[in-house]
Amino acid sequence: MARAFSIRRQRGFTAIAMTCFFALYLPIAVLVFYSFNAGESLAAFEGISLRWFAQAFENQQVIDASIRSLQIASVAAIVATIAATMAALATTRTEPYRGLTLKYAFINQPLMIPEIVTAVALLIFFARIKIWTGYSGLGYLIAAHTAFCIPFAYLPIRARLENMDLTLEKAAADLYATPWNAFRYVTLPLLWPGILAGFMLAFVISLDDVVITEFVKSAGQDTLPTYMLGQIRRTITPEMNAISTLFLLLSVCVVTVFFIVNRKRV
Amino acid sequence: MAELNAVEIRHVSKIFGFGEFAFAAVDDTSVSIRQNEFFTLLGPSGCGKTTLLRLIAGFEYPTSGEIMLNGEDIAAMPPFKRPINTVFQSYALFPHMTVAENIGFGLTMLGKPKQEIRDRVDAMLKLVRMEALAGRRTSQISGGQQQRVALARALAPQPKVLLLDEPLSALDYKLRKDMQIELKRLQAETGITFIFVTHDQEEALTMSDRIAVMSSGKILQVGNPREIYDAPADRFVADFIGETNFLKGRISAMNGGIADVDTAVAGRISATVPLDFQASGEVTVVLRPEHATLCPPNQPAACQMTGTLENVVYFGTDTHYHVRLSDGETLFTLREQNKPLQSARFGQGDTVGIALEANAARVLRN
Repeated sequence: MARAFSIRRQRGFTAIAMTCFFALYLPIAVLVFYSFNAGESLAAFEGISLRWFAQAFENQQVIDASIRSLQIASVAAIVATIAATMAALATTRTEPYRGLTLKYAFINQPLMIPEIVTAVALLIFFARIKIWTGYSGLGYLIAAHTAFCIPFAYLPIRARLENMDLTLEKAAADLYATPWNAFRYVTLPLLWPGILAGFMLAFVISLDDVVITEFVKSAGQDTLPTYMLGQIRRTITPEMNAISTLFLLLSVCVVTVFFIVNRKRV
Repeated sequence: MAELNAVEIRHVSKIFGFGEFAFAAVDDTSVSIRQNEFFTLLGPSGCGKTTLLRLIAGFEYPTSGEIMLNGEDIAAMPPFKRPINTVFQSYALFPHMTVAENIGFGLTMLGKPKQEIRDRVDAMLKLVRMEALAGRRTSQISGGQQQRVALARALAPQPKVLLLDEPLSALDYKLRKDMQIELKRLQAETGITFIFVTHDQEEALTMSDRIAVMSSGKILQVGNPREIYDAPADRFVADFIGETNFLKGRISAMNGGIADVDTAVAGRISATVPLDFQASGEVTVVLRPEHATLCPPNQPAACQMTGTLENVVYFGTDTHYHVRLSDGETLFTLREQNKPLQSARFGQGDTVGIALEANAARVLRN
């Protein structure tokens, strides 16, 4: 009996798949493994210990950079998600109109522009503002992160809205819901998983950023990634592994929480 | 004093697009819909019937004209202020709410007291026989049940007018038949004016008190089902409602309301002339397929026409015959009811005669 075509039954499929998974996860597995190294080396494993985690938690610079990272990521992700939600509503909850494609392009363009270009542009732009205003706080980093997070937050929110029947808001309006009530009781509850996904994505992207942060930050404004970059330039100890492992754990937790919350709503 | 019309459409136009792309979906249309009426807007897709419904619901605003609800102009009123509810083609049930929450939504938005909402939702559930499923999500019920919930949701706030946008089109044949009866029952029980949009002429004929036939943004004829079927106003209506045969001819004599029409294929036919129509010269005569029967061609006294039987289509209740008339052009359709244990009298390729029933022919207003 002839079997239906299936990509999984093609010769070499398993081998290619396994190679890809190894290439993706083996280096991370090694990194995590060595974060538990009792010795000082990244090459020779000398037994299991949590000393590097303890050291990381005692390192005031690491703590400061982590708090700064979380502050920037939280504010940037919240602001970006609000802006992205409004943009997504404006571009999907209407009949298609001329210029809509152009608007999509404008909202998504930060994804296309090389990050280094944005970084240099912001460096010059903010330098001017710093001279004018004298302000040199975290505001610049938050503004920069918010800006590049918007398209990331926008994508899942728009995807969710595009799968939502436009008639639902019409039905709400037909049943005496004012535009605000229609949004509050129909659009928003249905959109919530998309908003949450957008927020998580923006949060993780902001947490992870190096290039723009490196250019925009003032002295003493290291985030965790730029601090790690600075350290690695000098010496590499398993402390970096420990910090990376914790960082990884945080990302996995964020994504897991998102999946659990989302599943309940289906 | 004459009762106010439930809905009155006065010279309403709806134009989409601008300049050379401008297109009138509804074109200077006027129609009155009476209180407690089951009124149907019937027409092919793109005829403007749904646009007209959306104008009444408030999802579109007319380019010009007035829309009166019980004597009040509502043309510029937003949908959430109009005491009109809609049953959508896609039902548009809120997927994050239960059946009961869906039904109660309109009353909640109107700010009714909780107890009143609960009582009303219970009454509605009973009306559409869905009591057992009140707590279900709308994704957990069948298409027919969703249809009932959509109806209950639209009826719960006791609207002045209920709009139904092809609500039966997604159901299978048997369920559609049941829902047709159900809709008639609901309309009788609630006493609400129903405006029903459909492209299905059979649905329109069986359910409506009156029908408006639409084409290209205009209403061509308004009348009760019998008027629309028996006395179609023009060729489009005659063609759209049921199957129709058109024969060209020339009036040779008039006696009262009856004209003698000389046709090339059927000789002289007596045809009824519409009351207010001054017929003369070249006319078109319409004949319904069920008003003609096949007869053996060797009985010229009984048969007005002869032709070749091209097609025999069995429909269960009746059989349709397509006959190519002697002029070689006209394809004449006729329909005979099937009798028990009777096999087809004629087969494909046979030469047959066609007998017309008395008073069957009607002169068409051109």
